[in-house]
Amino acid sequence: MSALAGVLATVAAMGIGVYLAAALDTLAGRAVGGGRLDVGGALALPVRRGLALLLRPRARTEHPDAEAWALAPAALAGLAAVGLASIPLAPGLAVADVSAGIVLFGAAMALVMVAVFLQGWSANSVHPTIAGYRFVAQALSYEMPLALVLIGAALPAESLSVGAIVESQAHLWNAIRQPLGMPLFLVAVAGLAFWGPLALPEGEDLAGGTSAEISGAARLAWRVAQLMVLVAGAAMTAAVFLGGWHGPWLPGPAWSVLKTVAVLVLLVWARHRFVRVPIERFVWVSWVVLIPLALLDVFLAGAQALWAAP
Amino acid sequence: MGVRSALARLAAGAPTPAFVVAGAGGRWAAEQLWLEPRIAPTPSPRAADALVVVGYLSEGLLPAVMLAHDQVAPPRLAFQWLPDGAPDDPLAAMVPGVRVVEGGSLVEVVRDAHAGLLAGRGDGHEDAWPDVEPAPWRGVGPYGQGGKGMTGGVPYGRPLTGRADDRDGLKLDRLDVRVGPVFPPFPSGLELVVGLQGDVAQDVSVADNPFEGTAVADEVFRRALRQAVPIAELEVARARSHLRWLGGALRVAGLHALGRRALSLGVRAAPGDADRVARLRRSLARGRGLRWLAGAVGVLREDLGGPVGRAAGHPRDARSEVDEYRALGFEPVTQEGGDALARWRQRVAEAEQALRLARVAGDATVGPLDVVEGPRGPLGTGPLLLDLLPDLLVGMEWGDLVTTVVSLDLDLEEAAVRAGVPA
Amino acid sequence: MVALGAALVVFLFWTGSFLALRWAGDALNPPPETAPSRVPFLGGRGPETHAWSRFHVRYYAMALVFLAFDMEMVFMYPWAVVFLEEGLMAGFEMLMFISILVLGILYGWREGAFRWA
Repeated sequence: MSALAGVLATVAAMGIGVYLAAALDTLAGRAVGGGRLDVGGALALPVRRGLALLLRPRARTEHPDAEAWALAPAALAGLAAVGLASIPLAPGLAVADVSAGIVLFGAAMALVMVAVFLQGWSANSVHPTIAGYRFVAQALSYEMPLALVLIGAALPAESLSVGAIVESQAHLWNAIRQPLGMPLFLVAVAGLAFWGPLALPEGEDLAGGTSAEISGAARLAWRVAQLMVLVAGAAMTAAVFLGGWHGPWLPGPAWSVLKTVAVLVLLVWARHRFVRVPIERFVWVSWVVLIPLALLDVFLAGAQALWAAP
Repeated sequence: MGVRSALARLAAGAPTPAFVVAGAGGRWAAEQLWLEPRIAPTPSPRAADALVVVGYLSEGLLPAVMLAHDQVAPPRLAFQWLPDGAPDDPLAAMVPGVRVVEGGSLVEVVRDAHAGLLAGRGDGHEDAWPDVEPAPWRGVGPYGQGGKGMTGGVPYGRPLTGRADDRDGLKLDRLDVRVGPVFPPFPSGLELVVGLQGDVAQDVSVADNPFEGTAVADEVFRRALRQAVPIAELEVARARSHLRWLGGALRVAGLHALGRRALSLGVRAAPGDADRVARLRRSLARGRGLRWLAGAVGVLREDLGGPVGRAAGHPRDARSEVDEYRALGFEPVTQEGGDALARWRQRVAEAEQALRLARVAGDATVGPLDVVEGPRGPLGTGPLLLDLLPDLLVGMEWGDLVTTVVSLDLDLEEAAVRAGVPA
Repeated sequence: MVALGAALVVFLFWTGSFLALRWAGDALNPPPETAPSRVPFLGGRGPETHAWSRFHVRYYAMALVFLAFDMEMVFMYPWAVVFLEEGLMAGFEMLMFISILVLGILYGWREGAFRWA
């Protein structure tokens, strides 16, 4: 795809994805909270809230790091878009389906740590600073499961390109033949987008953490960038574990979109079901439980691939 | 300006983000704003368009509320809700443009004003505090740098912090912060002076209670000291208090929607809701999340009375001395461990027990009693939990610190009333 | 190469458009300039010092273990591509490599690198 077409594709994909994620979150909140499920109202709410934020000024603190504070949400959005760009919607329909697609995705998602830390640090205020450092601990802990299960998925495909991984699932989805992979990857995606039980840099115990000192357009930008990361992670889950564009009756891109939406529903449900995990507990669980499980997943995937290969 | 007003009309349909402060006598009304779908309380004033003060303000809370007012990005709105027939409150004099609302129409007033603000008709630009730079410029160079010592001078208006010893030998910087009376996860009025190294609190002390002198006492339980009160009324009030606490605690733990459900149950709990509370208790007991959040955090094993003492396994309850309760088959509920998780479980279990008692009590009354068991312990007696905070919180990571403070269900108004009223 | 170029253009587009959005927002609604409105939020009083400081990052031991695993990940990327060709032997070699690193996790666990309060 040409660069211009690629940009338009990411705009369309992210626009729809972010809007759907926000609307689903509102609906899930109402369903769990016991209020009326006003679907029309929930669909209009992201637009209303976005406009209400755009009409407000951007707050400042006494001596912020102005350039870094401006760059943090912008870089987060750019990285999320690059992550999404490495995922093909259908064979041949990809912005940047490079031969090392999961390396590109991993690199973009690794830099998310820097963007979120900068957002916390630049405000020159105690709570966002603590939140930024907390996110670094969280990022160092989910990074390994994120990369390892993708490597496990790459084993049967004999390639690091996301398109090849989707192709290798033509007969059987990775979610079934590598059962450890998808739950681990979902936890890593929740950590990556600091969402739900892993919303540690945004925690209420830090008065909002990284979003404690922002308002107006900056606040909208941060929220949208966070949802963009969530959408990119969900799209990767759908491609690598749920078979991407494979499926009967509907055209390939429709299946990709449907599977991404299904993963988004799952992630939104997790936000309203699970309590926020304290940082030390997450670090411990990640290193002592999740990473050994991810390593086990890699070797099981290898064994399965060897056994299934002709 | 047609585009702007059309966009503003669309935007006004979203809930108004408001920073809610609970003054004296306003705790429950402030919590009820979380249930109002047209108002969205925010975790920080920067995220808000309006400051809403519910209740009276004392001199102790006034400076903090004025600063919170200024931290809402201008143009801003400010409201104060007072019960009917209220005397003058210092807030209106100190904060320009605050609208005082009495009686029941707070939400409508806020919504109207917010719609006007978004359409550009607001003029709330004035600050409460004077526009003075925080620290005078000091130093030699053009940015305040230079002067004596390594970080001599006052760069950009505030000094840089210095180093302090730490328990693992690394001597790194220590931030001394006063996490103040209007910090949303803390109970209103609690101000902690914390010395933070990294995200661990090395040094904690509690500042003066700002409610001294203006607190409004909680009526239902105090009435039982003077006259006969129906048991059902006492127990329903107890259950409501615990459920409202649960709503707030779930919100701080990240489960906003479930917290709202608990809060709405707490606002209108009736004796017939015992089964719903039992379902809530069972759903909280499932899964490891709560155990990770609050297990082995903030352990208090002493017999402090109230739910905190009972969560540590001491079955002391003033209700077991009362014949009417014994006739209903009352036995104190206890948990083991005395950590924050035990306190969570204790309060939900006590709420369920209270509703069941209310159901079987019928018209039975009790009182006047010598000692009334309130939702936080026997009224007017027992050690102040506030005094235990410094020793309890030292060395905790910040998230655990907030979890512990939330699990103690502190009420600074009640503590101030107790300090002011002779025994 | 063309694909990577497209990815770079996507990154620059999104970063640039968010920066443009921020600049446009500032032009329409200028951020406040007064001193009290810029005090960092602590819940009551303002802070006494800057928050910028030599923050005590207590998880530095975990970060070192992470570095080791990061380098192992670098080796696993090309290994994943050639694994099926090379067969079982490649699996055993990687298993040996991983088990040495898992010793690092066990050491960190014992030494309390993953908890810090």
